[in-house]
Amino acid sequence: MTISTSSFQLIAALVRRETAMVYDSGKEYLVEARLTPLATAAGCPDVDAYIARISTDLAERRKALDALTINETSWFRDQTPYQAFTETMLPRLIETRAATRRLRIWSAACSSGQEAYSIAMLLDQHLPPGWTADILATDVSTAMLERVRAGRYSQVEMNRGLPATTLVKYFTRAGTEWEVSPELRRMVRVQHLNLADAYAFTAIGTYDVVLLRNVLIYFDQATKYDILRRMRPHVAPDGYLLLGSSETTLDMPADVAGLWSREQLGRVQAHRPVAAVPVASPTPIGA
Amino acid sequence: MTAAPAITDVQAIVEQVWSSFLGEAEPLLPAPVAPGRAFPADDAWSAAVSISGGWDAAVTVELSTPLALSLTTTMLGLTADETAEGPLDADVADAVGELVNMIGGNIKSLMPGPSVLSLPAVAAGRAAHPSGAAEVARFDGVRAGQPVRVAVHVIPQP
Amino acid sequence: MRAMIIDDSRAMRSILRRILAGLDFETLEAGNGREALDLFEAGQVPDLCLVDWNMPLMDGYTFITEVRANRDWRDVTLMMVTTESEQGQIVKALAAGAHEYVIKPFTPDAIVDKLELLGLVNREVLA
Ligand SMILES: C[S@@+](CC[C@H](N)C(=O)[O-])C[C@H]1O[C@@H](n2cnc3c(N)ncnc32)[C@H](O)[C@@H]1O
Repeated sequence: MTISTSSFQLIAALVRRETAMVYDSGKEYLVEARLTPLATAAGCPDVDAYIARISTDLAERRKALDALTINETSWFRDQTPYQAFTETMLPRLIETRAATRRLRIWSAACSSGQEAYSIAMLLDQHLPPGWTADILATDVSTAMLERVRAGRYSQVEMNRGLPATTLVKYFTRAGTEWEVSPELRRMVRVQHLNLADAYAFTAIGTYDVVLLRNVLIYFDQATKYDILRRMRPHVAPDGYLLLGSSETTLDMPADVAGLWSREQLGRVQAHRPVAAVPVASPTPIGA
Repeated sequence: MTAAPAITDVQAIVEQVWSSFLGEAEPLLPAPVAPGRAFPADDAWSAAVSISGGWDAAVTVELSTPLALSLTTTMLGLTADETAEGPLDADVADAVGELVNMIGGNIKSLMPGPSVLSLPAVAAGRAAHPSGAAEVARFDGVRAGQPVRVAVHVIPQP
Repeated sequence: MRAMIIDDSRAMRSILRRILAGLDFETLEAGNGREALDLFEAGQVPDLCLVDWNMPLMDGYTFITEVRANRDWRDVTLMMVTTESEQGQIVKALAAGAHEYVIKPFTPDAIVDKLELLGLVNREVLA
């Protein structure tokens, strides 16, 4: 079974329109591998027939989009950002937020929730008594959001980066899976959000730490810059934006670069909002 | 009613073991065989582990010989040269034994414990079950046209 | 770095050996806890042990207890790699002195993740 060029272009355009993710030619095998099981389940003879069908069948289209978004994730992914969170960001925020005793964290492409729950575990361990934390987990994939809500992970997922002591502390067995504790689940709020949607951030609020990790790499340059531009007001003035380890070196055009400064925290780089400065004042003050 | 693991759980375990070690390239697909119908291969390998304590049962895996051979080749990482003659029987027994150990251990964790898992017993040929043993769960699947069966038996308490 | 793979299945030892070789570990193998202890006593003390639970002659849990009872071996990092997957078993192994725990089945990434947690591997350097 091989996918035709026209089907591939059709599905690539659909994925791009709905999620901004770019499927370049050469990725035909990926589309095929991910859609073949769905095609079989839907009773289509091949992937081409299935792609034809999703132009009209919206339920099936949702499933195809979910299958085509790359959801690879793990607990405490790359470790260093989480180390920097506990060792640097959290102590600083605890000082500056003493009046409200409240922290707001946003996992902005949360996949199945490991990122949001990893943060929840660290907050559970390091947040002083009397403090509260609100963790918002958003993703474009509704299937992934369902998974975050369920808070259940397979054995194979549990093995990926979760220290054994943390596993026994925060999870219980539920059949073949493990379920995250109700306390952690209460800290995490789930919401559908398409990062590429120009108006998606309007009502989202401001966060002390935003994790926007391993998702910009799937977008084209213009979309990446646009997201980084729109993200700026949603990171608190003394807050942090964390990108994926391969995304921090991103070259940005001057107008975007001017919005963010980079700060080295241990072994990771965080992006921090640059205080708004008037661009070029026409006449010097007092002249 | 004897305690039994859910069929869907057994299937999830078999699929996880399968895809972790043998990759997703050649998936294991469910292929139900009507109850009472024989395992669909004459030439087979089988292995069993027993679980005893909080729950008493035997978990068996049966697979066609070609499937057992390809499992062994993959797990042992044998090269084309090394497999020209086919893996040794001792190697097949070892790989099939590890397969039933992984499946059996995970099934044990679904059931009331604490229980102890035995070391695997492997044989060339179909699985033998003690008389009176009742099958309480079964998964039948195929990979690249080759059959595999995982079954859970308990001996009903009088 | 030297690692000892302790598992009664040659197939499983082979899988782990190939993963560790890719991480630049030198490997030793033992088919059960008793054999592994004999190697320790003969002076073959590795930096890391990957330990199965159910094995003939001496199981992995007993092995860990034995290693922890000897002060000379306190620097050895112990990681269980086993199909035993009840929460109680994990707690028991950690209490006996295991540093980490991987449940079979696992993917190679899981082993790398855990060794990274233990500070024995650095993906950035490997890449
Ligand atoms: C590779 S995962 C990264 C998960 C996690 N942040 C991490 O670093 O492990 C990428 C996630 O981005 C999501 N995604 C893709 N396009 C998106 C979009 N336009 N808006 C929001 N999320 C998107 C995917 O559904 C997927 O869950």
